[in-house]
Amino acid sequence: MSRPPPERIVDARYLEPPEPFVRTMEMLDTLQPGEAMMLLLFREPHPLYRVLRQNGHTYETALQDDGTFEILIRR
Amino acid sequence: MQALLSFDKAPPFAAPLRFFLTAPIFAMLAGLLLAWSGGEMLASRWMPDLLAAVHLLTIGFMLQIMLGAMIQILPVVAGANLARPLRVASWLHGGLSTGAILLAAGFWFGQPALLSAAALALGLSTFAFLGAAGRALSGVPSTSPTIRGLKLALGALAVAVLLGAVLALALARGWPLPIMHLADLHAGWALGAWGGTLLAAMAYVVVPMFQLTPGYPARPSWWFPGLLIALALTWGAAVIGESEWGIRAAQGGMALVGIAFAVLTLRLQGQRRRARADVTYRYWQLGLYCAIFALFQALTATIVPQLAEWAGWSILFGILMVVGAFMSFIVGMLYKIVPFLAWLHLQNAGCVPAPAMNKLLADAPMQRQWQAHVLALILLLGAVVLPDLLARLAGLALAVAAGGLFYNLLAAVRRYRTYLEAAKTR
Repeated sequence: MSRPPPERIVDARYLEPPEPFVRTMEMLDTLQPGEAMMLLLFREPHPLYRVLRQNGHTYETALQDDGTFEILIRR
Repeated sequence: MQALLSFDKAPPFAAPLRFFLTAPIFAMLAGLLLAWSGGEMLASRWMPDLLAAVHLLTIGFMLQIMLGAMIQILPVVAGANLARPLRVASWLHGGLSTGAILLAAGFWFGQPALLSAAALALGLSTFAFLGAAGRALSGVPSTSPTIRGLKLALGALAVAVLLGAVLALALARGWPLPIMHLADLHAGWALGAWGGTLLAAMAYVVVPMFQLTPGYPARPSWWFPGLLIALALTWGAAVIGESEWGIRAAQGGMALVGIAFAVLTLRLQGQRRRARADVTYRYWQLGLYCAIFALFQALTATIVPQLAEWAGWSILFGILMVVGAFMSFIVGMLYKIVPFLAWLHLQNAGCVPAPAMNKLLADAPMQRQWQAHVLALILLLGAVVLPDLLARLAGLALAVAAGGLFYNLLAAVRRYRTYLEAAKTR
């Protein structure tokens, strides 16, 4: 999975809900079609997945050894 | 904020709430039974009134909240949507409540018919829920340790309930079964394989999320649930094969896995980024230390079985595990989940911005209830040693602590309704 530049990464691992969701949606709004961003979280965000699917975005998730889920989202 | 509308797929608040609000009443009843019976109840783990109180706690309180919460969390942590969650909630809640009352009454009055009816009510409602949850989870790939853990936990629940139903029917109808071995196995599947696996699967999500700790490392997270279930299966096979050694090895293995999980969680909590020790954190710390103590006790008994001959031994284990560990984890989670759900549903109902969560459930009453819970636990532990002196007081203290939980949750729901009404008339 190719990693987007740091300014396109939302590290939400130590944020309380609903902050991770809100920040991701805010960053998604700034992306152009075809651009990607990454969300880092210690859980899989299924409610977010549903919104991404509804909005036609694609995503790919990888679980790292330290328990971080890396979610690559394409607009 | 429009993004938050996406949460409108969450099950209605009423679905999990009915479980959360009735569960403390069952814990109050258990406390009152102890206050009524006094020290006699603690003479042996096989005392019928103790079995009644234990099942009011484990089914009426624990299972009620575990399954009620499951209706809420399946879509959130697994992307699995239950069809008609309100309908499922309504018959499951009815079945579990009726079953818990029938079972407790069956033990208390020594009525075989009530025990049989309880086995039927609990068996039917749990298996119907397992069917609904199974349909929701079918086709959901195990992409995270939480999803795999949930699936294994639900399988373990089926075994635990089946064993419980067989035991209740065996008692009611005098079936010639090795009741003591089966009762141990039932407790091992219920508390260890079902409770322990579900707790781990949930902890992977809620501990980092609510306590701002690092995540659980991936590899052990995949292994914990499977290991617990494999050991519980070994235990079952050893009972069938009448291998005393096999039973003890499996019990010891499960205790070790549990201790490893609790120690790992304590280590993660030590690295949390929230400076203030809120009530959820306190409840979890208490729960983890109680679990470690109880599991060490279980481990010791597998090596020196004579220890378990003291009648108080397994009662001490039960109090530490049920009241000290599981009730603490559950209440600690409820204090986060109920205000969060209230906030979420207010937000979705157009109450924007929704009131802060501490406006819905303030810290002070939760802290007072936590103190009552700790006092009840200390008195219960003391009552094992000094039953005549402390048992009634401990029962009352447990009822008061559970009453405090009921009051706090009800107050949060009332505030939620007030805000909701205000939003509607705006």
